[in-house]
Amino acid sequence: MDFHFTEEQRILQKTARDFLQAECPSSFVLEMEDDEKGYTQELWNKMAELGWMALVIPEEYDGVGGNLVDLVVMLEEMGRFCLPGPFFSTVVLGCLGIMEAGSEEQMRTFLPKIGAGELVLTMAISEPQNRKYDPFRVGVKAEAKENDFIINGTKLFVPDAHVSDYIICTARTSGDQRSKEGVTLFVVSSKSPGIHMTPMKTLAGDKQFEVDFKEVSVPNDHVLGQIDQGGEILEKILQKGAICKCAEMLGGSQKVLEIATEYAKEREQFGRPIGSFQAVQHHCSNMLMDIEGSRYITYKVAWLLGEGIPCTKQVSAAKAWTSEGYKRVAGLGHQIMGATGYIIEHDMPLYSRRAKIAELALGDAGYHRDVIAKELGL
Amino acid sequence: MDFGFTKDEQAFRERLSDFLDKELTEEIARQNWEDLGVKSEAREFSLKLAAYGFLGLSWPKEYGGQGLPPTYDFILLDELGKRWGAHVPLDVGYTMVGPTILRRGGEDLKKEFLPRIINGEIEFCLGYTEPNAGSDLASMGMRAVDEGDYFVINGQKTFNTECHYSEYHWLAVRTDADPNISKHKGITLFVVDMDSPGITVRPLWTMSGERTNEVYYEDVKVPKSRMVGEENKGFYYMMEALGSERNQVFVPGRLAPILDDLIQYVKETEVDGKPLSKDPLVRHKLAQASIELEVATVLADHSRWLESNDLPMAYQAEITKVFTSELEQRLVNSGMEILGLFSQLMEGSKWVPSRGRISWYFLHSFMTTIGAGTSEVGRSVIAQRGLGLPRAY
Repeated sequence: MDFHFTEEQRILQKTARDFLQAECPSSFVLEMEDDEKGYTQELWNKMAELGWMALVIPEEYDGVGGNLVDLVVMLEEMGRFCLPGPFFSTVVLGCLGIMEAGSEEQMRTFLPKIGAGELVLTMAISEPQNRKYDPFRVGVKAEAKENDFIINGTKLFVPDAHVSDYIICTARTSGDQRSKEGVTLFVVSSKSPGIHMTPMKTLAGDKQFEVDFKEVSVPNDHVLGQIDQGGEILEKILQKGAICKCAEMLGGSQKVLEIATEYAKEREQFGRPIGSFQAVQHHCSNMLMDIEGSRYITYKVAWLLGEGIPCTKQVSAAKAWTSEGYKRVAGLGHQIMGATGYIIEHDMPLYSRRAKIAELALGDAGYHRDVIAKELGL
Repeated sequence: MDFGFTKDEQAFRERLSDFLDKELTEEIARQNWEDLGVKSEAREFSLKLAAYGFLGLSWPKEYGGQGLPPTYDFILLDELGKRWGAHVPLDVGYTMVGPTILRRGGEDLKKEFLPRIINGEIEFCLGYTEPNAGSDLASMGMRAVDEGDYFVINGQKTFNTECHYSEYHWLAVRTDADPNISKHKGITLFVVDMDSPGITVRPLWTMSGERTNEVYYEDVKVPKSRMVGEENKGFYYMMEALGSERNQVFVPGRLAPILDDLIQYVKETEVDGKPLSKDPLVRHKLAQASIELEVATVLADHSRWLESNDLPMAYQAEITKVFTSELEQRLVNSGMEILGLFSQLMEGSKWVPSRGRISWYFLHSFMTTIGAGTSEVGRSVIAQRGLGLPRAY
């Protein structure tokens, strides 16, 4: 067993932290919440120059050849700075998706361009009838027509759809709405005729969209993996996605702890730092305990997934724990900061609002407890 | 990063598992875990563990060990824990006393005790707590006076749990009562024969049926050769051992059989023709327990890894302690809720579910957040050592 980062990972962490410290202050994050695009091309290009989008792409496709733990290290820093923009959508949902099941030709087409920062991808999973998150309950239909598939239906909560070049869309090609069988993944050009996007206004000012597909035509060679076999692929992508989301949450919660601890040491009431009071100390140690749990289960599961070791239960444990942990940490952070932390320009609301968004993304704790119950044989 | 085990470690685990499946009966596990007194069965089991080479792997060769990394002892604890065996049968010696003797004891003490600890032959009881020294342990008042070749000890200890079946008392006493020095600087550790004249052990029966003890010393003579390390350094020896002790005592794996029992129960028990395992509330309670067990495991693995690699371990083992003990309470409370009306039944009752293990654990679980340091002291330690917050006391 070894909990150490490699030397490369330590460098990656430091580079990312230094860069984001300079380029992504909280004032910028807040500004981007009101910006229609939600990020700047300039920042995106700089990240591309650093090779970040190419991090997990194999070298044969002009990538860096990093592994999932490397990506987790990077995403932790992005969570720490609440980085706006479509990195997660592109690199985690899009790129890992294509790497999971793409044909040789698809890899050649997409990966080098993703790595160069020339393509933005995203993934469309949820639908209006999914009041309870369930990625395998797919109602959007795709019907074969000559050399194409025709997609009809509505997807919700599609991150960064407005700036995307391609959307990996789950659609039903056969079977019952609730069945994992009969789901197919399509790489749909976001500019296809018949696609209509409407922003969904969320509490964190991130960019999520309703995407309506009306007679959208997708060529056969844009099917990802096998027809009707998309459920299995989707499960694998979402497992990696969940642990990447954990990494973001981990970075955010660590930053909240630092903000709160620093304040507890400086802020004096009753003639002494509030951090000397046991009630405040215990809040802080509860935060640290939550975060240490989130940290090591995230690293462990990233390692397991990277090694190809089956870990469905652990993935769900990580997402459930980290989702609720970040929420608890953010809550305690607010409690320690008092009224100051309630002001919108303060850093705290950036984190507490994102904690909620991240909790809901890719399955909340309730969803993942259901997965675990099945894994326990219940 | 690497979260796997080496081939040798896996081979050891397999060999050990086969042995434990055959040899570790629930009766033996409970004799130790429930502190009813390690009786002949558990003593025999202890000797057998040693004879088959499962004890002492992580100990130095010169005292009868095999000089391997601490991982092997952790695998041993995990595999025992999975089978209701909370720790090695004679665990105070093996996990707490032995390591301090190894670190701080003189050569005579090492030669006298370490081989017998590794062979599973002797047990110690911890002699720390006093009626007026609980969380504020350094305020202990039991007194040892230097009389040349020996010390004479007088006073009282309480909640000294294994004293009714141990050969030796691992005793912390005040050797310097000067009010002008820090109270931490006047404490010395001794190994005392439990059959020394002047020692009286009285039982304190707990709400779970476990036995702990009050121990009285009246002019008990302890030879100087039984002093551990240097005089007046005892409190520091106790503190430096704390992290490792927590790593060895707070073993998340030991909660696994509780969860396993509950899973079995909800699968087998029907309500209105439907197994309880299909009840969403039940499913979520057990899934949550499983999540927390995964988290506890990786927290424990992390602090064990720090210890195994001699890396600084300022607060991590404290997190393992607080988290694992509180998880035990949450898990058992969930279990009691799932068992419902029948959860109140104790072993021996006709209708008792899960052989009464859950109701016993419920009673026991009140202790886990108190013993070896309360959760409150633990949280203060985590805040101060882990985050650098200022002390308030």
